[in-house]
Amino acid sequence: MDSAEVSTAVNEPLDLVKLSLSERVFIKLRGDRTVQGVLHAYDAHMNLILSDVEETITLVDVGDDGAVSNVRSVARNMEMLFVRGDAVIMVRPLLLYLCISNIMTKISSCFAQISPIR
Amino acid sequence: MGTLKSVDQFLNIRLDNIKVSDPDRFPHMMAIKNCFIRGSVVRYVQMPTGAVDTQLLEDATRREAKDNKK
Amino acid sequence: MSAISSFVNQQVQVILYDGRVIVGKLMGFDVRANIILADSVEREFSEDEGVEMVPLGLYMIKGDNVAMIGEIDTDKDATIDYSSIRAPPLNDIRF
Repeated sequence: MDSAEVSTAVNEPLDLVKLSLSERVFIKLRGDRTVQGVLHAYDAHMNLILSDVEETITLVDVGDDGAVSNVRSVARNMEMLFVRGDAVIMVRPLLLYLCISNIMTKISSCFAQISPIR
Repeated sequence: MGTLKSVDQFLNIRLDNIKVSDPDRFPHMMAIKNCFIRGSVVRYVQMPTGAVDTQLLEDATRREAKDNKK
Repeated sequence: MSAISSFVNQQVQVILYDGRVIVGKLMGFDVRANIILADSVEREFSEDEGVEMVPLGLYMIKGDNVAMIGEIDTDKDATIDYSSIRAPPLNDIRF
């Protein structure tokens, strides 16, 4: 990969996912499941490949009256995982610098606005 | 669990010499040796780390993301 | 779809989206995984009694309903005493 080709701008939703390649991400899935792992690949369907994965499944007991009780979670680890895109609800980068760079952009744009005043 | 023999455009999967991970809970497939799984029922595919070149995947993903934008 | 072609004329077990298990001889299939089963039998799993075998005969199953097609090891299948197996029926498939 040429470094010139690597853009860090976020112009569309999938750019955020692109910036998370080889970084740890948190993913919310259908069926009360979440996974955390290092993102290695994705496509337009949101099919994903993750490594060093921890999956958490949230289980609840639902009574006859619909009352929810005994909420608990089970976790398991998987070394390399393909996740089918159908199940993906949300992808969240866990890396701090993305958030920081976001704030920095805002701060610098503030400065850009006030600098002409002198 | 089994040997991945083929995957098609729908991500339908052919697995050979399968083993059910929890046969006590799922004895329904005891006598099956090879199987075809419809892609649409798949949630995960677990694989050994050693079988995957992550750098290759990341480069290919970046390339595809770039191509899709054009 | 060539992945299924080796199963033709073999005993196969089909698991449907609603969790039903049907066993029969695979007579044919197409690209949508529509399949024809001859002499098919539904295997009803139950927690309270052994597996109930319900004869269904010649069936065409629409591919949309098929979750899995498995080639049966008939030698192994013959050694299994299904009347002694207790297991809840499979859940239907949903996300």
